[in-house]
Amino acid sequence: MAAVGGVASRTVLPGALAIGLLPLGFLVLMVLAPLARLASEALAGAQSGVLWAMAGDAYLRWRVGWSLLQAALTCVAALLVGLPVAWVLARLEFPGRAVVLRLLMLPFVVPTLVAALGVLALWGPRGLLAQGWGLDLQDTPWLLLYGNLFFNLCILVRAAVEALERVSAARVAAARTLGATPWRAFWRVEWPAILPWLASALCLVFLYAFSGFGLALILGGQRFATIEVEIYTLVAHELKLAPAGVLALAMLLLTGSVALLYAWVERRLATPARADGIARQAPRGPGQWAAVAAAMFLLLMVCATPLLAIVGRAVLAGGGAWAVLWEPETLLALWNTVRFTAAALVLATLLGVTHALAARRSTWLRAAAFLPFVVSPVTVAFGLLLLYPAWSASLPLLVAAYALLAYPFVANALGAALDSLPPSLAQVAQTLGASPSRIFWRVTLPMVLPALRRGMAFAAATALGEFAVTLFLSRPEWATLTTLIYQRLGRPGASNRDEALVLAAALMLLALLAFLLIDKPAARERDGLAQPARRRVGHA
Amino acid sequence: MLELLGVHKTFDDAAGGHWVLADALNLRVARGETVAVLGPSGSGKSTLLKMVAGLEPPDSGDIRFDGVDLAGVAPERRRFALMFQDFALFPHLDVRDNVAFGLVEQGQRRAQARAQAEQLLAVFGLGGHARHAVWKLSGGEQQRVALARALITAPRLLLLDEPFSALDAELRASLRGEFAQRIAAARITTVLVTHDEAEARVMAQRGFRLLGGKLQPLW
Repeated sequence: MAAVGGVASRTVLPGALAIGLLPLGFLVLMVLAPLARLASEALAGAQSGVLWAMAGDAYLRWRVGWSLLQAALTCVAALLVGLPVAWVLARLEFPGRAVVLRLLMLPFVVPTLVAALGVLALWGPRGLLAQGWGLDLQDTPWLLLYGNLFFNLCILVRAAVEALERVSAARVAAARTLGATPWRAFWRVEWPAILPWLASALCLVFLYAFSGFGLALILGGQRFATIEVEIYTLVAHELKLAPAGVLALAMLLLTGSVALLYAWVERRLATPARADGIARQAPRGPGQWAAVAAAMFLLLMVCATPLLAIVGRAVLAGGGAWAVLWEPETLLALWNTVRFTAAALVLATLLGVTHALAARRSTWLRAAAFLPFVVSPVTVAFGLLLLYPAWSASLPLLVAAYALLAYPFVANALGAALDSLPPSLAQVAQTLGASPSRIFWRVTLPMVLPALRRGMAFAAATALGEFAVTLFLSRPEWATLTTLIYQRLGRPGASNRDEALVLAAALMLLALLAFLLIDKPAARERDGLAQPARRRVGHA
Repeated sequence: MLELLGVHKTFDDAAGGHWVLADALNLRVARGETVAVLGPSGSGKSTLLKMVAGLEPPDSGDIRFDGVDLAGVAPERRRFALMFQDFALFPHLDVRDNVAFGLVEQGQRRAQARAQAEQLLAVFGLGGHARHAVWKLSGGEQQRVALARALITAPRLLLLDEPFSALDAELRASLRGEFAQRIAAARITTVLVTHDEAEARVMAQRGFRLLGGKLQPLW
């Protein structure tokens, strides 16, 4: 009951709020100002009657309806598949469990375009499984839904595992002694406890599925593309800015309200009390082993096969297709990808660290770190294009846009790590003679460094695979690996498709390599040991 | 000598409750003496220690050490060691560097500080664990490391906050005797906060109960 947080906040470097001006100014210039410009474009469009014309347009109504429906279906599928898988991972101890948990990060590292190609390599025309089973899923909604599930299943599984590990063993035991069967105990004790975590994960899944661009562009086809693709088509191909502005604003309102819901749920999760978790047990009997096998099979089918299919198809494509890697065009794209990513990573780290430090003093600044997640890349790029037309093909703007999309990973990872530092560590360091700045360098920084590196690794992976913003803001000579892959896909012929697959395999490898080089998990995580249950300090 | 003179402290919790943790509280702890403060959860025992350590300011009243008023003296300049009930060991440092932490802060060279830490660890029966990660130690071992870390800088005052509450009963009984001996050997002035009267009687020459912000002498 004593003021536990008091000293922890003093471990931040002095003037934390002042350094917050850097990310805040960046957000104003890169998000708020473009959005305001977009809104004025949309309002102008609304006054000139575009809005009514759009409301009566059955085609657009279908696009909006389908965008919402596919996001909702993705949520349902992720929950139905993800919860049983998470239960197996959280409650059963089996060989390879720790590796599987770590591999669940993979879809965050793989660029969307690579994932889309993986789905095509598996289920698309001439896809490995589609051919084998004689299926043709082209122009059906299944390709997009499958791609969405590939990305989002892991979000839900990771959140559910974390939630299940926090369920109090004592409460479940109490329910059992009061006569509840394991199944009843799950519904009456565990399910209510994990529900907020599931809700928060589902908000994220909905946001990603609703505002995703790369998957919808490649996998949606003509019929099942989403609003994001429609905005891109209106701007880039038809030059109809007013209706694009109206759509972008509508998107923003929708994603904004889901994000508010997410923030509200997240606040309710912020209870540090950690119950004694339920101990994992080795699977008993054939039923539990079958559950393990089924869970691993589901993960393999949803999350691993698209990536394996890319590698498989790239290998099968043969030496002719591999020659694309040494073409001057590819080497230039590789060089562009690497230098844009490096520049964006430096900027994103600077912004992320300053944002996380400043956000410790202010709740609304903390919420602002989610702004780039909420606003879709297409909306941001479109707004930037409208606001800074003279800069539309400038390298600084492109790199800044990359950094904008990447830096929330750094800010959020670092912010969470700072939050989870027990205040007693800073206090004990202080009584041992360390000044606030010494505490920062000797205690706070070393302890949050693994989280910082993980955030940077995700930021690098994001920049490497960036696609939407590049399409809007880039110049032909700034082609990156992603735009090169997209170009190849647009050209007819099997050889172009094979070359796209080889390039996708190379990009996937690059993203993995960058992630593994930057990410260095804390020793505790490397050893596969859980953090010891910490008692709450401050109660006398 | 530690003196608390007319110390007052209240606390308003998030639920709107108003708690009087210290009400014109007076306490004198002589040099080399160990004094125990007992009390139920929420009585303000931990807050009392944090006020002495300088981690929280009293609302009013004086806290003095050897006649010097400590108001405005930062915790890192008081040379008091505080031991937390959750040990508060630094997970990013190994056992030896945890113990050496305070010596490095006093400006000692790292190699020298580590050598001194290893000597003390050997005395504490932890010589074999110097390079181990702290979270791999057992609860009792972690508690010994925390005590070694607190004692190595020869602090002027040792503040113990429920030092054994995270341990099982058997270990608690054996460690409290050992800790009492080590503290006596170091001749260090100590304030112990606990809810376990048996533990307090083994370790402290005088004991008080903190209730409603007042200290009542028990022995």
